[in-house]
Amino acid sequence: MPPDADESAPAARSVHDLGGASGYGPVPHDPDELPFHADWERRVFGLLGAVTASTARRPGEFRYVLERLDASDYFDNGYYGRWLAGFEVLLGEYGLIGPDEVSSAVARRANVTPEEAAGASPVQRAAPVAARDPAAMPPDRPTPEPRHRTVRRELADPPRFSIGERVVAPASVQPGHTRLPDYVAGKQGTVTKLHPAEVLPDSTAHDLGERPQHVYCVGYDAQTLWGNEADPNATVHVDLYECYLTAAEGG
Amino acid sequence: MHDDHAGGSSHGDHDHRNRHLASSPEIRVEALEDLLVERGIADRGRIDAIIERFEHDISPMIGARLVAQAWLDPGLRQQLLIDADAVLAGMDIRGAEIEHIEVKANEPGVHNVVVCTLCSCYPWALLGLPPNWYKSPEYRARVVREPRSVLAEMGLELDPSTEVRVWDSSSETRFLVLPERPAGTEGWPVERLADLVTRDSMIGVDRAADPGSE
Repeated sequence: MPPDADESAPAARSVHDLGGASGYGPVPHDPDELPFHADWERRVFGLLGAVTASTARRPGEFRYVLERLDASDYFDNGYYGRWLAGFEVLLGEYGLIGPDEVSSAVARRANVTPEEAAGASPVQRAAPVAARDPAAMPPDRPTPEPRHRTVRRELADPPRFSIGERVVAPASVQPGHTRLPDYVAGKQGTVTKLHPAEVLPDSTAHDLGERPQHVYCVGYDAQTLWGNEADPNATVHVDLYECYLTAAEGG
Repeated sequence: MHDDHAGGSSHGDHDHRNRHLASSPEIRVEALEDLLVERGIADRGRIDAIIERFEHDISPMIGARLVAQAWLDPGLRQQLLIDADAVLAGMDIRGAEIEHIEVKANEPGVHNVVVCTLCSCYPWALLGLPPNWYKSPEYRARVVREPRSVLAEMGLELDPSTEVRVWDSSSETRFLVLPERPAGTEGWPVERLADLVTRDSMIGVDRAADPGSE
């Protein structure tokens, strides 16, 4: 479990949005660490890779199911633990394997009753997909059909912002998936580069169409983000979708 | 997996231990895999092949070789910084999580470090699967707020005059740090140079290895 989140942080902050969260100690660093620590991690990775054609096809969909997990299911068994929990939720939502079937199978293996096994299921603890108002999202626009499976799109409209321009991303007011980290919301940054345009994960994760966007690399001074005690000689760069951004007033 | 109550364990112990088992990822992934294979949704051979590919065929050596080549060829280095996608396509380096790559070069006075605060995005096809520490809440929470201290704790002391640039992978762009070439490696061939290019140095939490330590 994570330490208590910063009390000054907005209540809406989600379990996964960790940038700048206080209370964390040293990084568990091991320069020679291997990708897997246990055989079950291998199985989770391989199983997801083998079944993603049946679940989580849309960009952002798998990330969003992880974000909907209860904090214990997100943190307690690390990265592959949260993958497994999210996968269980998706299998139920897609109607492929229901939580009752999983609980029966787990009950047999753990020698507990199906009711006890159901209590261990991450499915009932996960939040449902949030209702999101399509009218509050940027309009969808047709783009050439890509030749292979990709999130990149060719946009006819030119980008709204140019390199060197000061921009602000106001905090997201819609519930649901977004790639706007809370720690940059409302802060002034500078566009440093334009990345290839992409489909908007805030929309695709909710099955509301592609609504492709120009993507900008925005640089922030550490002191703008964290205050005057922060490093005077550090910058943080975040990639932001055009619909997140507005021109900074007086910037 | 049946508890035979040997050794005088009480029912209370049994219940606690078995409820714990029901939450264990070992048990749950085994149950899911069996169910998915029974239904014909998953194929065990394909699962094994995916594990094999990502555990053994893809490793940080792919990125390390690219870095070593860039150290030897200033034209290639320049191309990597301007349009890494074209360079990778030309070398036939492709695969998961490298659809758009940005290479950030360390140089005197500038140090780059990569994170993904919202999940754990990482250039798999260049560096292999990410280590746990990169995915840890500690790293994700702290490196954007106090990068210099985090790097120092991880063994990389930077001069206060060195600018630290943190790259948070919040879109589908993935980042690779091009570490500085260590002194004392003049005339080295690409393979020997690549051995100095650690995974940590391409994430930006370390320098390339000291040639004396080879």
